[in-house]
Order: sequence, then structure tokens, then C-alpha cells
Amino acid sequence: MNDFNRDELRRALRTPSDHGTDAFGSIVKATSGLNFARSLSRRRFFVAGGATVSFAALVAACGGSESTGIARLGDAPTPNKLVEAEVTDITLLRTATSLEHNAIFVYEAVASAGLLTGDAAEIAKRFLDDHRAHAEATASLTTDLGGKAYTQPNPRLQSVYIEPALKLIVGDEATGIPPTDDPAADVLALAYALETIAGSTYQAYVPLLADKSLRAAAMGIGDQEARHAALLGVVLNPARLVSSMGLSIAAEYQEEGETQTAYASPSAFGTQAPVPVTLGAANESGIRTNVNLETPSLNSMVYEYLDAEG
Amino acid sequence: MSTTPVTSTSDKSAATPPRRPTSADIELLAFAQAAELTARDLYKQAVAEGAGGDQIGSLAALAAHHDAYAQSLSALLGTDAPQARNDELFSSLKSGFGSNTESTALAAHELENTLVVTHTDLLGRLDGTEGAALVASILIGESRHCAALAALAGKSPVNDIDLFLTTSDVESLAPQA
Repeated sequence: MNDFNRDELRRALRTPSDHGTDAFGSIVKATSGLNFARSLSRRRFFVAGGATVSFAALVAACGGSESTGIARLGDAPTPNKLVEAEVTDITLLRTATSLEHNAIFVYEAVASAGLLTGDAAEIAKRFLDDHRAHAEATASLTTDLGGKAYTQPNPRLQSVYIEPALKLIVGDEATGIPPTDDPAADVLALAYALETIAGSTYQAYVPLLADKSLRAAAMGIGDQEARHAALLGVVLNPARLVSSMGLSIAAEYQEEGETQTAYASPSAFGTQAPVPVTLGAANESGIRTNVNLETPSLNSMVYEYLDAEG
Repeated sequence: MSTTPVTSTSDKSAATPPRRPTSADIELLAFAQAAELTARDLYKQAVAEGAGGDQIGSLAALAAHHDAYAQSLSALLGTDAPQARNDELFSSLKSGFGSNTESTALAAHELENTLVVTHTDLLGRLDGTEGAALVASILIGESRHCAALAALAGKSPVNDIDLFLTTSDVESLAPQA
């Protein structure tokens, strides 16, 4: 288990060398803050288009290293070959293992920082044990298929979701993020979203897995993730266990008031939609930060060419 | 991070699974639809009997969930869908779904656990990916039902945590080859 208190957790999040600094993180940092919709209005599109053509002609005129010296439009160097990135059963299992390590990281950090106490801490400890067992199981399946087991948190999910979410909870002096007013409530809300996404990930992998025996194994774990989320739904919203949202049932059985963000059973089917979670201290306008957690997509899978260090 | 291209070795030669249900899949999915209609009717009976207390809306929603599962399976199966509950299963379980909230919740918890085991069994046997994807989404829903029903039965998420998290050691209901 990682052994750090809240201050150390903040420092670890500022210098995430073990879990977050990687090629994915660089891409995210390089593109963060860009507003493509605003920068490409129709007028600007034509202006940019004209500039692009002119620039292309200039580049072509400069030619490649084997130029005959005569400027030709379209004379460009051979592009670098992209690495082969195939979504195989091994890739899916490695990605599942990485997601388990994301959960392990969160629960270890929360435990070390003492963000949960009493019953909530007991529940979190059980979940931590379960995720360790899941990581071992998916790693074992990976090696059974001849692959190399992955042993780190998913780098993209760690940098895009996990570290920003934990910063919203514990605060980050370097970037001026204040700690949240109720860390325990935020941790439970984050755990609810994370467990829901974990279940959704295994569900999403079922039609992608070529070996059908792996489908059952994957959903054996997905079943447990879904139950984790449901238990947290019971804790967060005991007044209504099963949402009536979207259901055709008699008005007397519909819930009153606004739809809540957490339920033991929020919908009939397992969702593939992003799971929203509200975290952190309110800003001067009283608004808190909304984070949408999503299942790993093609750009966050742990392909076989990625090594175990991420 | 390595940037060296590595050729995958696991399943490049594996045949792509079919998308639509095979004839063997249809038999399994038809069984699943009958089981879902059975669960729907059991919850409807419990609601009619007055079980659930201030969570009666949750029981009504659970009936609607199982109806939604049956309808989705029907859409996948078309004319092969049985569109009828499994009367033998309904008769064997109906005494558990009465007016008492705690006993009904425990009977429903056992039923949902059995459906989770059954659907996990199906996932290892279905060939078509459409059927497998649908069964997986139903399984996630029913896993969450188990935890909801443990709470409805008055169990503690701490002291009785295994009732919330652990799938019972029960037999799959699905017909075996």
C-alpha cells in the first residue's frame, strides 16, 4: 500500500511520475484549453484554408531531401509508420487490469490520507481487497493467453480522471484548487462513479472478446463491480433504491422530486454512458466541478506494445 | 514506454464470432426471455400484495426492469421469442413473493442471484455477439438488483456485506447441453 498522508498525496498528485506522466498525458496537456469550435468559425475556416494551401505550396517548393531541384506540388517525405495497435483479447485484459489498478490507487490513497472513517472505511477496505483480486485474475488471464500482464494504473484514465478528481478532493496549492468541504462525501461519490464505470467496462468488452469463455470470466468480475456501485448507491441514496427514470410504471410508484445522481439500481440495463460526478469546493458562484467518467476507449487501451511501466 | 511495434499473438487467427444469434443461441435466449417474464410476474404479485413499504415504488420499478429485459430479448429473437413466462419456475417461487417486505426481498435476492449465475453461464455459451452484449447489460442490471434487495431486506452494508457483494453458489437455470 502507498504510505502517504494528505500533504504527501497532494505532492504525489503534483508530480505524478509513477502513474501519470506519459505520452497520453503529454497529448492531453498539449491539447488542453484548445477550443476547436471557436477557433474554426466559417469565416476563419476559409481564411485558414487559404493560408493552409499557400503554406502547402511553400513546403512543397522547399522539397524533400531527394528533390530534383524542381518544385512540385505534393512532393512530401514518406510518413512515419504508425505502430500496430490491434484490439486483441490480450489488449482488453491488460486494459481491464489497468483499470483495476486505477481503483487500487484511489482506495489506497484514500485510506492513507484518512479521508474515510468508520463504516465507510470498512467498505472501502473490502473494495480494495476485491480490486486487488480482480487485478490478479485479469493479469493471470493475460498470461494464460501468452500476453504480458500490465501492472500499473491506466495512464490516460489516471491523468484525465483520477488525478484531477483527487486534486478536487484534497486540494492543490500549486494550481489554486481548494480542498473540498466534505471529503468523505466526495470520495464516496467518486467511488460510485468509478465502480459504475468498471462494471460498464467489462460489459463493453463482452462483444469485443473473441474467446467466448473469456466473456463469462470478464462478467464474473463485472458483476462484482456493479455490486460495489450498488452498495454505494444504497449508502448515498437510501430513500429510493431503484430509480423509476424512463420506466413506464404507474404514477403512484414514480419517485417524487428530482432524479438523484446515485441509486443502488439507476437503470434497467448496464449503462455505456458517461457517469457524471460532482466534486470539490464550490467556486465564488456556488458552482462545483462536474467530471464525466467514461469507459476506456481506443485511445486509452493498454495495447500490447505498451510496456508494464506504462 | 516502449514504442516498438509488437505483433499481437493471442487471437489473430481466431474466427470472428457471428453477430446474430445462432440456432443454439436462440434456444438459450428464448429460455432467458421466459425467465425474465417470470421474474416480472413475481414482482408484480409482490406489489399487488403490498410488499415494499415505502420502497414499493422500487419493487414496481424492478418489475418494469424485467419487463424491459424480456422486450429486448423479444426484439432480438423475433418470432422465436416465447412471449410467455416459465410457469414451472413461477409456481416454485411465487410463495416467496407475498406481502412481507423482508421475506419478499430475500426471495427476490435469491432469484436475482440465480439470474446472474444463469446469465453468466449463457455468456460462456452464446456465439452471437448481439445476444452476448444484451445478456451482459441485463446481468449488470441484475447484479445491482441483488444489492438493492439486500438493503430492502434490512441488511447492513457493513455487517452483512457479503449479501450485497457475493454471488450465491447456486445452479444456472439454463438448459444444459
